[in-house]
Amino acid sequence: MGSQKKRNFQIEAFKHRVVVDPKYADKTWKILEHAIHEIYNHNASGLSFEELYRNAYNMVLHKFGEKLYSGLVSTMTSHLKDISKFIEAAQGGLFLEELNRKWADHNKALQMIRDILMYMDRTFIPSTHKTPVHELGLNLWRDNIIHSSKIQTRLLNTLLELVLRERNGEVINRGLMRNIIKMLMDLGSSVYQEDFEKPFLEVSADFYRVESQKFIECCDCADYLKKAERRLNEEMERVSQYLDAKSEVKITNVVEKEMIANHMLRLVHMENSGLVNMLLDDKYDDLGRMYNLFRRVPNGLSTIREVMTSHIRDTGKHLVTDPERLRDPVEFVQRLLDEKDKYDRIIGSSFNNDKTFQNALTSSFEYFINLNPRSPEFISLFVDDKLRKGLKGVSEEDVEIILDKVMMLFRYLQEKDVFEKYYKQHLAKRLLSGKTVSDDAERSLIVKLKTECGYQFTCKLEGMFTDMKTSQDTMQGFNSAHGADLGDGPTLAVTVLTTGSWPTQPSITCNLPTEMLALCEKFRSYYLGTHTGRRLTWQTNMGTADIKATFAKGQKHELHVSTYQMCVLMLFNNADRLSYKEIEQATEIPASDLKRCMQSMACVKGKNVLRKEPMSKDIGEDDVFFVNDKFTNKLYKVKIGTVVAQKETEPEKQETRQRVEEDRKPQIEAAIVRIMKSRRVLDHNNLIAEVTKQLQSRFLANPVEIKKRIESLIERDFLERDNVDRKLYRYLA
Amino acid sequence: MKAKKQGFITQDEWRRGLKALEANSLEKLQRALPALEREVMRPSNFKDFYAFAFRYSLTEERQKTLDIGSICLLLKIVLGSQFRPQVDSFTQYLQMQKEYKVLTFDQWMGFYQFCNEISFPDLNNYDDQLAWPLVLDSFVEWIRQKNN
Repeated sequence: MGSQKKRNFQIEAFKHRVVVDPKYADKTWKILEHAIHEIYNHNASGLSFEELYRNAYNMVLHKFGEKLYSGLVSTMTSHLKDISKFIEAAQGGLFLEELNRKWADHNKALQMIRDILMYMDRTFIPSTHKTPVHELGLNLWRDNIIHSSKIQTRLLNTLLELVLRERNGEVINRGLMRNIIKMLMDLGSSVYQEDFEKPFLEVSADFYRVESQKFIECCDCADYLKKAERRLNEEMERVSQYLDAKSEVKITNVVEKEMIANHMLRLVHMENSGLVNMLLDDKYDDLGRMYNLFRRVPNGLSTIREVMTSHIRDTGKHLVTDPERLRDPVEFVQRLLDEKDKYDRIIGSSFNNDKTFQNALTSSFEYFINLNPRSPEFISLFVDDKLRKGLKGVSEEDVEIILDKVMMLFRYLQEKDVFEKYYKQHLAKRLLSGKTVSDDAERSLIVKLKTECGYQFTCKLEGMFTDMKTSQDTMQGFNSAHGADLGDGPTLAVTVLTTGSWPTQPSITCNLPTEMLALCEKFRSYYLGTHTGRRLTWQTNMGTADIKATFAKGQKHELHVSTYQMCVLMLFNNADRLSYKEIEQATEIPASDLKRCMQSMACVKGKNVLRKEPMSKDIGEDDVFFVNDKFTNKLYKVKIGTVVAQKETEPEKQETRQRVEEDRKPQIEAAIVRIMKSRRVLDHNNLIAEVTKQLQSRFLANPVEIKKRIESLIERDFLERDNVDRKLYRYLA
Repeated sequence: MKAKKQGFITQDEWRRGLKALEANSLEKLQRALPALEREVMRPSNFKDFYAFAFRYSLTEERQKTLDIGSICLLLKIVLGSQFRPQVDSFTQYLQMQKEYKVLTFDQWMGFYQFCNEISFPDLNNYDDQLAWPLVLDSFVEWIRQKNN
């Protein structure tokens, strides 16, 4: 004994010795319990916040938090049970009102209680992981009121009934609804969903299923869509007014499914009022509504698009194969343009300029325009008509608009080279007869074609314009050089055409009258004098002449005729009567051309400068012609037989088609050689595919034709087949 | 023998050929013939022989095609034993049609491939989208039309 302990100097906290009254906790709790009662009985004004707070604080401090908490739970629970009975007893419409009122009360009470018990909320509860006061209050409300057996179902049914009444047109108390729904939301999203939203959606689905069935039986498509739209808007408004925002997409899905998705096909195909009828009648509003509604459901828009596409293709197909429509090419093309305009407008105003719809329209046009092999010819004739007279007096901007529309049709053509051939022919006629309404319009179109197809396409066309200009200069030179010699003789206006640029013409025989021969020769030697190494051939089938004629009774007229007609008429300077055979012999004009030319001078009222015996419409081999002494015409200048571009006759069409086919052969060969040169070795199928792709911008290449060209190239040692794999071709340098 | 001209064998060519056969007497030549025939019938050699037959029949300097009549005769000789039905059918077609007056070497070789690859007479595996010469496409179409 005797260990010396070193003692540390410690300062100990001053402990306040409180008398632990065993009944302390009970007493304090009683005070608080009483306060809670008062609060629930709306007697809170008589309470002292400070005192109550202190009491709660002390309980927690002295380790009586558990007692305080469990006391709170049981007190609140018993109050809620009373409230529950009270609410259950409410009759009819008062049920919700009472519920609402009591909920408001509860919240107020809860707030006060929470404030009083804040110390416990902040210390005891977190450390013991118990539910905080406010949340506890909500949970108790949920368990004792909302989920009470007598209230739960009744509450749901009441809410759903109100919604149903409102859907049927009644006015309901939205404010009350909003509060009740908000209560459910405050109690937790699972409460809102399980106790209201899920059943609400189910009931709504049933409701709309029944309603949509009813509507679809008795409404036409447009009406139905209006109703569907209205219901949709209604539901969205409902959500914004008194439901959780998150419900919006769910309820709209229900409406979309029941009212739209389930009846989509029936609506679209409804007889007399469906999509096709709306399209035909340009019902922009209805179509717009359909678009907006259908875009909400899967496959909605594709359904509309498919029906629209097949309708356009059908109408288009009828358009291009209807013989009535094909009589007038200009009208035919105009009808196509009108159809395109119509659908452009529809897509613009009703379908939101939807790109997929525009593409569907384009592919439909591409499909049916090419069903008629004469489409390229007709489009060229349309352009011809516009450039001759249709665009007269039209403003520059409008001209551009029309030309752009024509270009759009042009783009749809598969056989662009056929168009080129006809366009060239028609352009040639326009230029040579001086019948173009606007040089600017002509050039503008050439530029558009160049942009679309490249320089190759238009360089020859531009050559034609150049020839016209050059010829003017040449004539000036000729007249100044020889003008003096001509004196009173006939005057000559020559257009010199470069052979490659202008449409190929077979050389036709035609004997020029003696009066012209000398002059023509003079021009020929003048021209060849200034241009060596060239050859000139008179194109008698393309020329015109102005002849001054004096008839028996003294009538004088100036006749504008074709070169052929001039040759024939000049014969009558030396003879009073001529038989067809004599005329044929003298002029050597080919029979079919000659007959047509005679017809236009002898059989057409107002232009019959000649008289024919017999007076039949057709020209017979034995017919005899005289000058028509009785010829009259109001005008001094009379036009006979202008060279206008016309729809081709059957044999002419065959000829043009043949020429196009011939022209394609070298193009195909050039493509084959180009491809093989770069690839060196290539198999059959790939070669066909590549060639087709390369030529796509001009025409659709026929695989059989390509095969023929390949074989021809093999024959001429441009290509060879591989010895082992005969599918492979090899380029021979 | 690598004889250059059909119907003509130069002395050199004769000598060269017989030397290759190692036949310096008539009996040896006779004995060599059946072996030669078997040799020719071997597929790898036969294709060369078939090609040779065409070229050999070209009589003129720059000639590249054979007239239909000669083609028919030649086919019978060269392929008649192996592919009788095809040869009969094709020669019948060639004589009936009017589009082709001659056949090229490419078409000639194509027919050989046709006989080897295409089941006859059903023609089930013939695809005209492939690289067959057009004359064979037309031939097949003619057969199919006849059968319908």
